[in-house]
Amino acid sequence: MEAEVKTTQGAIVSVENPEITAPADWQPVIIGILCNWCSYAGSDLTGTSRIQYPPNIRIIRVPCSSRVDPWFIIKSLQATADGVLISGCHPGDCHYISGNYYARRRFLVTKKLLNFVGYHENRVQFSWVSAAEGPKFAKVVAKVTEDIKKLGPLHRYKKENF
Amino acid sequence: MDYTKQIQEIASKLFAENKIDYFVGCKQNGFDDNQVPFLITDPQDIPKLVFNDKSVFNLTNYLKADHTRRKRVGLVVKGCDSRSLNLLLTESQLKRENVYAIGICCEGVVNEKGEKAQNCIECVMPDAVVFDELLGTPKGRKDYIANVDLKELTEKPLVERADYFSKVFENCIRCNACRHSCPLCYCAKCCIDQETSTLYNGSNTTSSAMHALMTWSLHLAGRCVDCRNCEKACPSHLPLHLLHKQNEKVIFENFQQHLAGMEKDDRGAFYKYSLTDPDDFIL
Amino acid sequence: MARVGVFTCFCGANIADFIDVPQVVEATKKIKGVKVSAEYKYMCSDPGQQMIRDAIIQNRLTSVVVAACSPRMHEKTFRKALSDAGLNPYMLEVANIREHSSWVHQKDKKAATEKASDLIRMAVAKSIANEQLHEISVPVTKRALVIGGGIAGIQAALDIADARIPVTLIERSPSIGGRMAQLDETFPTLDCSQCILTPKMVDVASHPYIELIPYSEVIELDGYVGNYKAKIRKKASYVNFSTCTGCGACTQKCPVKVSNEFNMGIDKRKAIYTPFPQAVPNKPVIDAEHCTMLLKGKCGICAKVCEKGSIDFKMVDEVIEREVGAVVVATGYDLWDPKPYEEYGVGRYKDIITSLEFERMVSASGPTNGLPLRPSDGKVPKNVVFIKCIGSRDEAKGIEYCSKICCMYTAKHAILLHHKVHDSHAYIFYMDIRAAGKGYEEFVKRAQVETAATYLRGRVSKIYKKGDKLIVRGEDAQLGQVVEVVADLVVLATAVIPYKENPPLARLLGISYDKYGYMSEAHPKLRPVETAKAGIFLAGCTQAPKDIPDTVAQASACAAKVCGLFSGDTMKKDPMISTINTENCTGCQNCVTVCPYQAIVTEEIPLGHGSKEMRIVAKINEGVCQGCGSCVAICRSMSINLAGFTDPQIINEIVSI
Repeated sequence: MEAEVKTTQGAIVSVENPEITAPADWQPVIIGILCNWCSYAGSDLTGTSRIQYPPNIRIIRVPCSSRVDPWFIIKSLQATADGVLISGCHPGDCHYISGNYYARRRFLVTKKLLNFVGYHENRVQFSWVSAAEGPKFAKVVAKVTEDIKKLGPLHRYKKENF
Repeated sequence: MDYTKQIQEIASKLFAENKIDYFVGCKQNGFDDNQVPFLITDPQDIPKLVFNDKSVFNLTNYLKADHTRRKRVGLVVKGCDSRSLNLLLTESQLKRENVYAIGICCEGVVNEKGEKAQNCIECVMPDAVVFDELLGTPKGRKDYIANVDLKELTEKPLVERADYFSKVFENCIRCNACRHSCPLCYCAKCCIDQETSTLYNGSNTTSSAMHALMTWSLHLAGRCVDCRNCEKACPSHLPLHLLHKQNEKVIFENFQQHLAGMEKDDRGAFYKYSLTDPDDFIL
Repeated sequence: MARVGVFTCFCGANIADFIDVPQVVEATKKIKGVKVSAEYKYMCSDPGQQMIRDAIIQNRLTSVVVAACSPRMHEKTFRKALSDAGLNPYMLEVANIREHSSWVHQKDKKAATEKASDLIRMAVAKSIANEQLHEISVPVTKRALVIGGGIAGIQAALDIADARIPVTLIERSPSIGGRMAQLDETFPTLDCSQCILTPKMVDVASHPYIELIPYSEVIELDGYVGNYKAKIRKKASYVNFSTCTGCGACTQKCPVKVSNEFNMGIDKRKAIYTPFPQAVPNKPVIDAEHCTMLLKGKCGICAKVCEKGSIDFKMVDEVIEREVGAVVVATGYDLWDPKPYEEYGVGRYKDIITSLEFERMVSASGPTNGLPLRPSDGKVPKNVVFIKCIGSRDEAKGIEYCSKICCMYTAKHAILLHHKVHDSHAYIFYMDIRAAGKGYEEFVKRAQVETAATYLRGRVSKIYKKGDKLIVRGEDAQLGQVVEVVADLVVLATAVIPYKENPPLARLLGISYDKYGYMSEAHPKLRPVETAKAGIFLAGCTQAPKDIPDTVAQASACAAKVCGLFSGDTMKKDPMISTINTENCTGCQNCVTVCPYQAIVTEEIPLGHGSKEMRIVAKINEGVCQGCGSCVAICRSMSINLAGFTDPQIINEIVSI
């Protein structure tokens, strides 16, 4: 059972810590880790096509989604991020043949484990975005940003709070 | 379950035939009826060996030490222990010919209250899967049962679960006993301790404990055999098995019912993949 | 102490219109480690690059951040600028503030500016953790191995050898020539296959840079690009090629007759044979499965008639090794067995033949001296029905893909039939006519007009026998009628399928293959001749069905790739690859398992300093590693790092936001 997402008097309540609230115009910080060959190229295409998306995401380039060690995600959530988006090539399209298949397994287990210890499941999201899917990248970012805005600021397990 | 006699006989025989340099077993701790692990270098100590339902330790943990790695070691393995032995062999940490494993068809060990331990009730493989000789009657593989505590906790609301784990991580004193007691944590220098890693800030905060324990459990995901050596070693009595059981459950349900160490040459769920792995959680 | 220079680009109005660049430059100055923060209208222009070069020299910068367009655009340009100013080119980081900020947040200047500052901060943090990297050079063995002596292999070998690079060409059968040698005339020009192929075959045999090893196969390939070691098994031919003159006395006298595979079983050959008269090398081999001397120890006539004493019944397979830098795979194709078409009576009626059998019959040097004959009674057929797409484009019985060449060769067969038997008539059942290619459509038109062949669009549902004729019942979809054609001979255009030994060969070479068994190219459009394994290339039908012009083009492309690879004594390679810290490596070999390129091997190192005991650790093969980082993420002891994307670099990025 997931906690209800509540907004009281225009303020946004943190799902993991209901006592923590943020003003209604609060903007989350999202870290995006993108693979160089598909998703990073796709995000470039979003730019060249001038498709607009929310400005909350900060993009980190890695060669392949299989380069993403689960602790990058934990570290991001521990530091400034309110959410993490990881994106790679579609299954079968990996520039490095099989990287995203290994990554997919790790992602599922990591996502479930983070949810288990008390992160809302929408804090960490994954997507497959190809180099041709500029519009999809914008949609994914918009959705992830929207989702994370609803969850409120991440306070739980933050470094500065403990 | 009491194999004390048989094990003593086998150990004496192995020493007599010069097949082993060391033997790893259990002995009474000397002040109550609990046991401690016992490394025998001299056959004279063999009579001290015991093995019954209070022999709770996964003795394969003592194979990873520098002084036993390259020696010929005899030891006793229960079902779960043999699975970790399997992994140690697959991961080239040991040579098969250096190990003489006395496999046990385990009937379960007891917890500190004297009841059958939870992991033994939920055990999928009580019989040893790697052994040189097998004691007892094999009972065969059982169905996978989801962990009771895990089930209870998963059903709780997110905030309660988060509060629960905040307490758990807060109580961690970062002594690393869990790591040292785990047979599969054999790295010469753990990632947590590496200067260059910038992984952890070294301070003992809830946040850094969360990071350390989560990373640790992810390194054991698809490899943990649920022997609960870590929990027995933890001075803060943290429910460490929860993290492992959570990963085990996700892996079992999603990756072709994978269970760690059941087969030879199986490195764990993260070191292989299937084209049909779940994809629906990805946008 | 890091001294970072940050250079923010206006990109004309592309960045400056949507991001407050001066504000970003001011904010950047406050970042720890930043020594210079400057702006320019076009950073990629020469004055812009000059600005970077000057700043590097004047301020002794240790790393540079360029905030501009995507690194996929100008990373190389700016790296060059760094290296011109004497700084290691890999000390550059690019903050992508155009594609990732100004272009996508055009309505919110404040947020876009903030994001740009953040992106720069991340890039500065990463650049501080950058390490100096140097291009890797890998030595190259300048010899190519070509597997397969069909037209693809021949063309590739000749082109490579003409560039004065030694080639080892191996062929599984006793002669090179492949499928093309079996053809009569070739579309769309109808020049005789033998006339254009045999000169090339002779060139191969006489070329000083080509080592031709017929009757052999690869059994092992070790190593990596530029440094492969191939083990080749020379099958026992029982004939000493160095003394054999190819006089043919042995072949004439041999009493054992065997079905002739070169002629598709239409006639017989001997147990000691040369596959066809123009074979290269023109030396016979003994078919060990049928020779009575080898089977039962009786006969030996060939040895008696051989004046040179070249027959050696004691010969055994020999394994030789060649060191090569590149491999061209040109194994060719097989033809699909039409047995599942039971309703056509395949196997029951002798007068249903395949296209390649027809091809052999109409060949001037073929078993019937160039006349198509009915296998049942040896008569010359008058009405011949050709049925296309037998197995191709047939998910139920055959394969899904189009075999590409059948439309054209069936048109050719109609013309050839007309040439050989003037009063004959060809009926062609087809699904579509796919004649894309130079002169192809014209060629099909020629078949339709010149030979008056009847093209019937539709599938054949049944073939049955009536007297000595075959009745072909099918549909003419354009008229919507069932048609019945009385045929003397039926020719099935069977599908092209990959050479049956492709999958084991692919596994042996360490390259991938698709569900049909065709070898997989690295990229279907942009890298059609390379495989995912560097230094292994594909030519001809080993990759997909192809006609001769396409095959030759691809073979020449392979040759160009090989020559490019061998253009220097060493190969230059991007240094962004994995490195192993052997001190921490536990030797668990999980990285070996996950590496998609088999770039990780193991080595033994002393347990401690001066110790005699050894332990196993992983070792990266620099020539093979492509830098994906799969191994880095799965290494629990953090003993592997990926240059350019190290853990400290990425962590710096994460924590600097």
